[in-house]
Amino acid sequence: MAFFDRLTERATRRLAQTTSRRSLLTALGSALVGAGAVPLLPVARASGTGGSGGYPGVAPQTTGNVQDPGDPTSCDYWRYCAIDGFLCSCCGGSQNACPPGTEMSPITWIGTCQNPADGRSYIISYNDCCGKTSCSRCLCNRNEADRPMVRPQANNDTNWCLGTESTVYTCSTAVILGVALED
Amino acid sequence: MTLCLMTASGLPGVENPARAQLNWILNCQGCHQADASGSAGGAPNMAGVMARFLRVEGGREYLGRVPGVAHAPLSDDALAELLNWSLYTFDRDHVPENFNPYTADEVRRLRAAPLISEAASKREELVELFVHE
Repeated sequence: MAFFDRLTERATRRLAQTTSRRSLLTALGSALVGAGAVPLLPVARASGTGGSGGYPGVAPQTTGNVQDPGDPTSCDYWRYCAIDGFLCSCCGGSQNACPPGTEMSPITWIGTCQNPADGRSYIISYNDCCGKTSCSRCLCNRNEADRPMVRPQANNDTNWCLGTESTVYTCSTAVILGVALED
Repeated sequence: MTLCLMTASGLPGVENPARAQLNWILNCQGCHQADASGSAGGAPNMAGVMARFLRVEGGREYLGRVPGVAHAPLSDDALAELLNWSLYTFDRDHVPENFNPYTADEVRRLRAAPLISEAASKREELVELFVHE
């Protein structure tokens, strides 16, 4: 047993003589601070910027068509003149299409918006996408020509997820149906 | 009589079919859908059915008094045009030979007495009259 006593004592003394009592804290502290300087996991760099719509994590988009100007992730995009809801463009869909896993409502509210590219009014159908929980990104509420609930066909506070399998609202699109006549 | 009601569009009582279609899209299509087939539990189907109402007692009045028609934010003449256009567009085959197009005066009179909660039961009643033809 004396052998073990001597061994332990010698090892302990050597450790005490060659290292400072706080060296463990020093080493651990360096490791912690150093780890922060070098990212260990991928970082969502888009979250810093945001598109012209200003919603964090959503990069700007374009239609690629000069006749259809603007950023579909921004509430200012011309087709959204009467929209009230989350933009499907920010939710994995587009201004014309629903995100995967959702169903486009065939029942819609329809209005007109003026296209700044040619100054003409276009008929826009705000088809809601339904079937997943609300997207909650890029909320827009412009309401031009919105009418109260007593005019249900022109009211955008209604849940338009009708005629779909699920009535759960996910997000809204703005589909062009045609050109409106000048009065 | 019929001759003088014929218009440039070729559809009786439809002065401007483009305007009628625009009014259809803006005021009706959202619920009735582009082909007028309607939606389950919502707006009823009109395609292939609408003009059959003209063939039964009270049907012509019914079409001018249903809530969507009577309450449409349209002038009487635009609404009469829209009704005539819809009949020829969605159910031309059933429009009676002797059909007199709706006029603004008639529409003004009909929409003044809109059907509200009884619209659905009135419809069933009328459909019952022609469905066995």
